[in-house]
Amino acid sequence: MNVRQWSRDLAMGVRFAFTGGREGWVRLLLTGVGVGLGVALLLLTTAIPNALAARDDRADARWDLTEAWSDEKIPEARDDTLLIAGVPTTYHDTDVRGRELEPEGPKAPLPPGVAEFPAVGEMLVSPALEELLASDEGALLRERLPDRIVGTIGESGLIGPSELAFYRGGEGLSSHLDLGVVARVDGFGNPSTTSEPWDPVLLLLVLVVFVVLLMPVGVFIATAVRFGGERRDRRLAALRLIGSDSGMTRRIAAGEAFAGALLGLVLGAGFFLLGRQAAGSLEIYDISVYPGYLNPSPALAALVAVAVPAAAVLVTLFALRGVVIEPLGVVRTARPARRRLWWRLLLPVGGLALLVPMIGQGSENGEFNQYMVTGGVVLLLVGITALLPWVVETVVARLGSGAVSWQLAVRRLQVSSGSAARMVNGIAVAVAGAIALQMLFAGVEDEFTQMSRNDLTRAQMSVEVPSGVALGTVTGKFEATKGVDAVYAFGETYVGDTPGQDAERITEVTVGGCRALREVASLPSCRDGDVFAVSGGEWDEFTPELAKAGQKLWFDPDYGVEADSVAWTVPGDFKKGRSVEDPTGMKRGGFLITPGALPEEIDRLLGQKVYLGIDRSVPDAYEYVRNTAAAIDPYSDPLVWTSTERSGRFDSIRTGLLVGAACVLFLIGASLLVSQLEQLRERKKLLSALVAFGTRRRTLSLSVLWQTALPIVLGLALAVVVGLTLGTVLLKMTNVPLAVDWTGVLTMTGFGAAVVLAVTLLSLPPLLRLMRPEGLRTE
Amino acid sequence: MTAETMAPAGSLLAAHDLRKAYGPTTALDGASFSIHPGEVVAVMGPSGSGKSTLLHCLAGIVPPDSGSITYNGRELATMNDSQRSALRRSEFGFVFQFGQLVPELTCVENVALPLRLNGTGRKEAERAALTWMERLEVDDLKGKRPGEVSGGQGQRVAVARALVTNPRVLFADEPTGALDSLNGERVMELLTEAARSTNAAVVLVTHEARVAAYSDREIVVRDGKSRDMERIV
Repeated sequence: MNVRQWSRDLAMGVRFAFTGGREGWVRLLLTGVGVGLGVALLLLTTAIPNALAARDDRADARWDLTEAWSDEKIPEARDDTLLIAGVPTTYHDTDVRGRELEPEGPKAPLPPGVAEFPAVGEMLVSPALEELLASDEGALLRERLPDRIVGTIGESGLIGPSELAFYRGGEGLSSHLDLGVVARVDGFGNPSTTSEPWDPVLLLLVLVVFVVLLMPVGVFIATAVRFGGERRDRRLAALRLIGSDSGMTRRIAAGEAFAGALLGLVLGAGFFLLGRQAAGSLEIYDISVYPGYLNPSPALAALVAVAVPAAAVLVTLFALRGVVIEPLGVVRTARPARRRLWWRLLLPVGGLALLVPMIGQGSENGEFNQYMVTGGVVLLLVGITALLPWVVETVVARLGSGAVSWQLAVRRLQVSSGSAARMVNGIAVAVAGAIALQMLFAGVEDEFTQMSRNDLTRAQMSVEVPSGVALGTVTGKFEATKGVDAVYAFGETYVGDTPGQDAERITEVTVGGCRALREVASLPSCRDGDVFAVSGGEWDEFTPELAKAGQKLWFDPDYGVEADSVAWTVPGDFKKGRSVEDPTGMKRGGFLITPGALPEEIDRLLGQKVYLGIDRSVPDAYEYVRNTAAAIDPYSDPLVWTSTERSGRFDSIRTGLLVGAACVLFLIGASLLVSQLEQLRERKKLLSALVAFGTRRRTLSLSVLWQTALPIVLGLALAVVVGLTLGTVLLKMTNVPLAVDWTGVLTMTGFGAAVVLAVTLLSLPPLLRLMRPEGLRTE
Repeated sequence: MTAETMAPAGSLLAAHDLRKAYGPTTALDGASFSIHPGEVVAVMGPSGSGKSTLLHCLAGIVPPDSGSITYNGRELATMNDSQRSALRRSEFGFVFQFGQLVPELTCVENVALPLRLNGTGRKEAERAALTWMERLEVDDLKGKRPGEVSGGQGQRVAVARALVTNPRVLFADEPTGALDSLNGERVMELLTEAARSTNAAVVLVTHEARVAAYSDREIVVRDGKSRDMERIV
């Protein structure tokens, strides 16, 4: 055997693949489309990190000081400085990035994607926002953003085609410089590009998600190159008749698979380009990417281009091991040697051996070794594909015969347990991986989820109101807003025993009407002009010492805008109250003061907050509130309360898993269907003969169902065992208490079973068609 | 004239003026046929003449476009699909050119299959199957799968399968077409002997005169038309 002979035989196989007539083309196309789908998915997956990196680069390029607390402040206006205010908002749960720009000189820097500063009353918008504002759906947002649209933001200023963003002209921003919403900048771009390091557990999740999603794609590709195998074997037998030896025949078969893989690469590149274009109009979890961002790294693309055809050749040679192709058109499958368990167990055991040393590491003890994690998970999951044929063979060999449909299915499985196991491999790997990840997600969820203390029965939104705006007016405006059924407005500040920052004893002050104050404390009686000292507050140390009639105190001048300390004397008729949890779940201490008892000059020192009860049956209630808030203060960004607050990254990984798992299961379902139909087509004549001598269609349909269901049940059972094992190890690695997420296990197993059921149902119409007597015709 | 009156007296299965086309191709163009219990009738003709289509119509596998077929005085056209399937299961037997044995089942399971489809229990069905396999001299193959036996052996297993339900009509479509002459003759001897012993009628489709010689009567099909042949002895 030499290289020349190898290449000659492979080339002959390639030629056969392309010149095999209609039947040959169908087989080639099946393989090509199957491999192509797998390749496209591989390329898309490898392109995602690049796409996200490109997004990050764009975000870094337009970074301004409003996005972070920074000490690097430019104190004076120059001809190259720009005042910029963050005016973000939210519309129908989607974030809208907004900035107000006021150039201080002719050389003021322009943000990326902006050619000219908008004047006051004008704005530049992203194409997606322009479309939204022009539609009926965006009417309420238009009310909030009434400026005249004078242009659009260029691609370089946006992180995705679906991003909602605007820049509007501003004036008088310097007066807000110290409030945190306005910054003075002389350029855009993040000076320190080192991004926040990933939490090791999150990194572990990402690695496992990638492996779990890519493994079934690999299994799928391996299945796809074997499409049409039985028919090909018959063709190869004819080659044996005219003198090719068994080695040559194998290489020719490998050549055919190679041709399919090559076509698959071409089709895969096409599918990828189509998918990339389609990805531009998709938005998943508020993330959209420009098609141009989705570029797989050249090294990974080259790896795919080399590995897929090579794998096709190897898989074919491996598959032909147990097949003896003889001349005279007879293909006899040699009675295969009994499958051995020991080497099949080596894979999962090896995987566990890689993972076990990392047990107990958790987030605190440094990063996980990426290679060990990936290797361990890959070996464990590959272990399923090695173990499943053994499990199927061992179990079906012990199954007795029952009804005819059962007997037909069991006997077929006994003869070809390998191909049955192959059909299920992909699903089993996907389900095992998903079960393990579900467990990991459920386990670490608490780490990335904080229960918010907000009392959602009393308020569902909060709005900050600038100092100096009368709370009474604000309350009136919110009360008049559609969808608002309760308004609790508070002013907040502190008092200390000495003026300025030197005070040693400090306590809280809450200002509000009687109705609002009853939300924070239990009061004996209340009317405007009353002052209360409240006991039982959290972190409240000094109220008992400071709450003495005639005690002179000073409102904290550093809270709010700069001002001289304002003195205040605790009135002799102050009342006492007991703190209760306020709508945010906190217990306030200190003094509660009704507006009538407040010195006039204190107004401007108060931080003001309004808590709103929302009637959620009113559509767009949140948007009405946001519009009212924007009218009161253009820089306000009302908060919608939720019971939990989760890490954004955690959520996007979980969503990625679900979307990926759905794609993978769909892909595997498609390959199952193709294999099933192919098997049925191969047996067309036999099926017709069985019907000719009176076999009921129900019997044959049932036998197809058993034939699919049996390996699936075994595959899913193995998947559950491996999935739970992997999940347990991963949880132990992250130092999280072990708990099995049975709902997740059932869901994933159910998904797998549903795919099989769908495939069986879809293969029934062709089965019934193939059972027609026309199948007996030979001429 | 009713279908019954068209059938020759005493015939078990009869067809009159059958027409059948597959798209633009006419397979049968006014063919007629009849067979009596215990009779062996060879249907001869060149390739593509319509012989197999005639067999499929007679067996109720394919409905003709027009014409009538009566079995035991009953018009096949009046039966629905499941009734025709039941008839094939219980009254008819089939042998095809390539046996069409189920490759995953052992030989004895293949022979027992028609009985099992009729509701007979596995053990009883396999016992009956083994009796027929003995008569066809293939009982030593009972545990083997079709892929492990020779073509001639496989065809004898197929004949055993066709006869295991004691059918009243045995349809054999080129039963020796894939065999060498020695094996072919042995299969024909066993097939006709077994059929005669159970008084089963045999519809034998063949294009080989050597095979047709085992029949009592010959019908030639040409261009979809049938013609009774006088046997020259």
